[in-house]
Amino acid sequence: MDPPPRRLAAPLFLVLLLLAAASPAARAWKKDEFRNCNQTPFCKRARTRAPHSLDAPLSLAAGSLVVSPDGSISAELSHPSRPRPLVLRLSALPPHALRLQIDEDYSTATPPHRRFHVPDVLLPDLEARTLHLPEPKTVAGVSTVALSSDLDVVVKHDPFELTVRRAGSGDPVLSFNSHGLFDFEPMRESKPEDETWEEHFRSHTDKRPRGPQSITFDVSFYGADFVYGLPEHGSTSLALRPTRGPGVEESEPYRLFNLDVFEYLHESPFGLYGSIPFMIGHGGRASSGFFWLNAAEMQIDVLAPGWDGATAQENGRIDTLWMAEAGVVDAFFFVGSEPKDVIKQYISVTGTPSMPQQFATAYHQCRWNYRDEADVDGVDAGFDEHDIPYDVLWLDIEHTDGKRYFTWDRSAFPNPEEMQRKIADKGRKMVTIVDPHIKRDSSFHLHQEATDKGYYVKDASGNDYDGWCWPGSSSYPDMLNPEIREWWADKFSYENYKGSTPTLYIWNDMNEPSVFNGPEVTMPRDAMHYGDAEHRELHNAYGYYFHMATADGLLKRGEGKDRPFVLSRAFFAGSQRYGAVWTGDNSADWDHLKSSIPMVLTLGLAGLPFSGADVGGFFGNPEPDLLVRWYQVGAFYPFFRGHAHHDTKRREPWLFGERRTAIIREAIHMRYSLLPYFYTLFREASVNGIPVMRPLWLEFPDDKETYNNGEAFMVGPSLLAQGIYEEGQKSVSVYLPGKESWYDLRNGSPYKGSATHKLQVLEDSIPSFQRAGTIVPRKDRFRRSSTQMVNDPYTLVIALNSSGAAEGELYVDDGKSYDYQQGAFIHRRFVFADNKLTSFNIAPDNLGKKFTSDCVIERIIVLSLRSGAKKAIIEPGNQEVEIESGPISLRSGSSPVAPTIRRPNVHIVDSWTIRIA
Amino acid sequence: MRLLLVGALILCATAALESKPPLDTLGIPPQDEAYYRGGVIKCRDGSGRFSRDQLNDDFCDCPDGTDEPGTSACPEAKFYCKNAGHTPVTIFSSRVNDGICDCCDGSDEYGSNVTCKNTCWEAGKAAREKLKKKVATYKNGVVIRKQEVERAKEAFAKDEAELAKLKGEEKILQGLVDKLKEQKRLIEKAEEEERLRKEKEEKRIKEEAEKQAAVEKGAPDASRDVDSKETQDHVQENKNKVAEQHDGHATDHDNHVTESAASAEQHGSVSKDGISAEAGTVDELPQKESAAPTLEKDLSSDNPEGLSREELGRMVASRWTGESVNEVSKDDKKGHEDEQEIPEPAEEALEDELDIPEPAEENYGGYHSEVEDDRHKYEDEEFDHESEDEYVDDHDDHVESYRSDDDQRGDHHSDLTEPGHASWLDKIQQTVQNVFQKFNFFKTPVDLSEASRVRKEYDDASSKLSKIQSKISSLAAKLKHDFGKDKEFYSFYDQCFETKEGKYTYKVCAYKKATQAEGHSSTNLGRWDKFEESYRVMHFSNGDKCWSGPDRSLKVRLRCGLSNELNDVDEPSRCEYVAVLSTPAVCVEEKLKELQSKLDAMSSKQPGHDEL
Repeated sequence: MDPPPRRLAAPLFLVLLLLAAASPAARAWKKDEFRNCNQTPFCKRARTRAPHSLDAPLSLAAGSLVVSPDGSISAELSHPSRPRPLVLRLSALPPHALRLQIDEDYSTATPPHRRFHVPDVLLPDLEARTLHLPEPKTVAGVSTVALSSDLDVVVKHDPFELTVRRAGSGDPVLSFNSHGLFDFEPMRESKPEDETWEEHFRSHTDKRPRGPQSITFDVSFYGADFVYGLPEHGSTSLALRPTRGPGVEESEPYRLFNLDVFEYLHESPFGLYGSIPFMIGHGGRASSGFFWLNAAEMQIDVLAPGWDGATAQENGRIDTLWMAEAGVVDAFFFVGSEPKDVIKQYISVTGTPSMPQQFATAYHQCRWNYRDEADVDGVDAGFDEHDIPYDVLWLDIEHTDGKRYFTWDRSAFPNPEEMQRKIADKGRKMVTIVDPHIKRDSSFHLHQEATDKGYYVKDASGNDYDGWCWPGSSSYPDMLNPEIREWWADKFSYENYKGSTPTLYIWNDMNEPSVFNGPEVTMPRDAMHYGDAEHRELHNAYGYYFHMATADGLLKRGEGKDRPFVLSRAFFAGSQRYGAVWTGDNSADWDHLKSSIPMVLTLGLAGLPFSGADVGGFFGNPEPDLLVRWYQVGAFYPFFRGHAHHDTKRREPWLFGERRTAIIREAIHMRYSLLPYFYTLFREASVNGIPVMRPLWLEFPDDKETYNNGEAFMVGPSLLAQGIYEEGQKSVSVYLPGKESWYDLRNGSPYKGSATHKLQVLEDSIPSFQRAGTIVPRKDRFRRSSTQMVNDPYTLVIALNSSGAAEGELYVDDGKSYDYQQGAFIHRRFVFADNKLTSFNIAPDNLGKKFTSDCVIERIIVLSLRSGAKKAIIEPGNQEVEIESGPISLRSGSSPVAPTIRRPNVHIVDSWTIRIA
Repeated sequence: MRLLLVGALILCATAALESKPPLDTLGIPPQDEAYYRGGVIKCRDGSGRFSRDQLNDDFCDCPDGTDEPGTSACPEAKFYCKNAGHTPVTIFSSRVNDGICDCCDGSDEYGSNVTCKNTCWEAGKAAREKLKKKVATYKNGVVIRKQEVERAKEAFAKDEAELAKLKGEEKILQGLVDKLKEQKRLIEKAEEEERLRKEKEEKRIKEEAEKQAAVEKGAPDASRDVDSKETQDHVQENKNKVAEQHDGHATDHDNHVTESAASAEQHGSVSKDGISAEAGTVDELPQKESAAPTLEKDLSSDNPEGLSREELGRMVASRWTGESVNEVSKDDKKGHEDEQEIPEPAEEALEDELDIPEPAEENYGGYHSEVEDDRHKYEDEEFDHESEDEYVDDHDDHVESYRSDDDQRGDHHSDLTEPGHASWLDKIQQTVQNVFQKFNFFKTPVDLSEASRVRKEYDDASSKLSKIQSKISSLAAKLKHDFGKDKEFYSFYDQCFETKEGKYTYKVCAYKKATQAEGHSSTNLGRWDKFEESYRVMHFSNGDKCWSGPDRSLKVRLRCGLSNELNDVDEPSRCEYVAVLSTPAVCVEEKLKELQSKLDAMSSKQPGHDEL
């Protein structure tokens, strides 16, 4: 794209040289602007400590260990040098979760400030679900409590150590402080003369008026080959790589600190936009999880075997070191026999993902910025002209009047309602951006109101914090305060948000929060929040509360009948309850395409099933081939959106020649055809948190080959896909797990399981397969948008396993309301066995409401059906239908590959049987 | 709390096809009806065959859609709507029964729950009216274009003649200059000889005097000595003067040559503006050099203490926006553009020497295809586009076209194209002739007044010569341009087209450059590159560089109109501008014929009113 080099006059050349030198630097990630562990005093202190070397190790006072009336166990931890002891509380949640809470006992010596407990993240009924624990048995300074019939908690008193182990075998699963690194810096009453509490980073000063208060401990995962989780980091590896110990070159812990990182690296342990302090350990013998509810900056080391100098390694144990700047210990130990059990337990604590509306699971088109109504019209028309479906058109910050959210730039968008209505006529929606920074402009009512009500976060001296963001000088509503969240939610009413209509949904960006002139491009840690909380204590949850308030706003707007759609960039544990997230400002390069898979998979493992990366890459211009590959992978992301920076060239799907347009159309069509399957998977996620897009090992937990495969992924239990992450790649090795075969989604060709296949790379698709033994519901007719597909008939694709059997599910509801919560949905299980396909109702009866549909199944493709039958009989009714050989997908040139039941036209609401005659 | 609602009932379109039209013609264009006759029909892609019962049975048997022209069953099928009263269209089968009326006769929604009104008559009428208007515009446009073409041919011939004449004059003048030069050389030689002779003479006299003195008394004659010295000095001084003058001329002459060569490279547009702009840029250069690194240094230094909170905020924001840190918001286009003035002269001069490939144009093509390849839409929609683009009857007063002000043409024709210019040349020739005649080389000493006259004539003639040469090269450069098949764009050479969009004034000077001005600051959107898409687009490229973006460029789409009017400037991608220019230059006869036959076809297909 750049012009070829020219002969340059000397001064010009010099200028260009300077520009050239300056611009890559200006565009690259700036390591210096972010604190590493050595520049972070609590991290440096904790990390340089040797195992069992604490000056004041904590021990449990034997006599203090009691079962409380609420069924939990409490005890006191202390050391003579401490100003006050610590209170420990152990509680159990069914089926296999243990909660460990440790805070200071403020009754003995009260410091001026108490430690922060993160509110409104854990489900409110958690306490009610707590089990009544039996009396601990104490022998020789070791107390044992039976958690369940098969799990024990073993508490060693001095020094304090906690182990969760299997009751029968006594095999440990998880342990706390086995390496004696548990440190809990006590809150001080006042600053001693000889100490400096202030911290400096670049031009910023953190007054740190409350002094050191960090917490560190080690956690060991037994039987784990790998650990996973801890979003969000750029990585091409699915498993968390060791950060310290033998063989680790650049040693830096995984940082959890929500930051707006300009042009982030695809491979780095530094913190990005969101933080979920949840880790899963998995190996051939065990699956377990550890979650620390703490919203302060956290740094976590994954320690390589031998890190502690031990020569003889216990097989299959991974040690980790957890460090947080503030807060308390509120930790959960999850024990699973299967990795899905671990996720389910984490979800039982932090909440189930919200069920998205149907449209939100379809394709979204975004750009910074579609500039005016004509631009919106043109892009909308472009999709129709090229027969490419899409559901949502997005407007970035430029649509506002001077970055005042909830307003419109009326010169570019004079008639927003009319614009939305025109889009909505085709079944489509729009999304506008609403960020947390509010322009400090006295003529802006929102600012005036927030100022008058004292709703802004305060700076260290108690004034409204004034930071710099898109609008210039800005302040940030204190989303920690439920009253302020309520106030914020009201801003989304049609009355308050002028120009909004029922088909307008919301995008929350910059909610880390991003502050351009703040330390590390965020809010100073000594800023003050509601309830005497310092920003440092809740930083990682600020974006979560903002997301929550926005989603509540949409819920209120729709009078509780319209499921909100809010995309957020920042997230925390529990964000799954409020909507979707995406991986932020990625770059248009192949490495970012590759890292998007481990990143999205990791979000799914951490309870956030609804996520995706910007298709095409936000920064920079993707080569057309990269864009095409990104669409092919992105069509499988749970959240599928194309987005681009405003300096980039236009990249709507039809701008790269007919051939590429056709391939991108094909990728988007594939997503639309699989929407019934995706929606069924979202239903599953909303019930138990099992992600839509899954690591292979979630479905094949015993197959070690899959443990660190970050290139391939499952969509639900039935489909496997692998991206093409290299330019001009000719062949690709794809590992297909399990004993059963796999069928190529494009042509139905079978491939053996438990084998690595070297495949020729095709231009028009990425390797994708349906697993034998599964049934996938599709809709093979395309419309302008998913909404228009509601009445279209279904196709079932049955891939028979080696015993000629298969099963699958279909979930259907009205796609938008909460009526499903009262039973207004269709949920079927399709079972194929003995040459017979049966549709069973698996929806519970009598929940109050009903949902019905006249939709039929127009086509049933049975892969690897051996019978040469030409007819099938439908019962009830004894109706005969034809079986013909048909293609697996309706594309020009596809050849017939599988027996296809033609027009059975059975209704999806009914129970029926189709017998191959 | 969420309200409890009775479960929604959804009607399934595929199950209910009550008022379905005859299946054997549904969605099939008349010319294809024959294909569907017979009991067994082949899929067009050769993938199989289907029976007559399977035609439009709402199940896709041919993946290419052959068997389902009338339903939505095959994703790749197309549905034909007759649209009696208007123009038939073919739509994607994904539009069949989707609840949106796509065909004006409503035939695409035979099985959905919407009722489509037949709007073909009204729409067709409107479309025909628009087409009629368009044809009328074309008719007039074709006439204007013809006149333009005639004028252009004349002007071109005139310019060619002018060039030939200039070349003739150059030759004559060159001869004179050569002669004068020779003359001058001879004069100088004669002067030199005379000086030497004088010197010799003086020396001799002096020696004689000395001798005499020695002989007479041995007393020196001081006064004489002084005199002689004075004379000597004087001569020396004159000599220096002559040399100086001579050098001076030579230098001037060189300059002229260089300049005219350079101006030839620049398509003869050595404008005053250009020069001052260049100078301005050069002046600004050092500031910029220092500004950028300073910014970087501040950003990357460990302790950017020097920055205020606001400066830091702006600076960090600028990474995303690519904006100058002096700007508040990222939508403001100015700021950084001002800083990005890159000195152009060197580059510009080099450009033509190097073969610079065109930047990729795919994107623009794609962008415009929305407007151009609008096959699946109603015709009247297409007309909407075009009517806006081509029927601008009311002239906005801010839209102007005028002679390019930085063009040298007016200037370079000033003294050469005047009717009396021949006598000017004659006069010079005559004068020179006179000089030659009067000057007597054999007269010693040299007549000083005659010598200086020769010098003056030489100076005058050579400066005239270089002027003529410069004019030749710029005219030759002009004539080298591509002015279209019929030289229909010849008049564009002297014109700029202007329009205002918001706070910006856009100025497009064909064959030169395009700019975007706001107040006193102007941004170069690109220098003339070439015509594209067979003279439907003017491309300007290599404009001012965008911060972290491409060099600015502009594509001006040309549409038939009765006068030259610039409109609809837009920036679909950052720093890639588009605009529309209405001009009679593209009102071609073939297109008129095409439109006329389209109109005839539309009019002949009109059904009787009783049908509606």
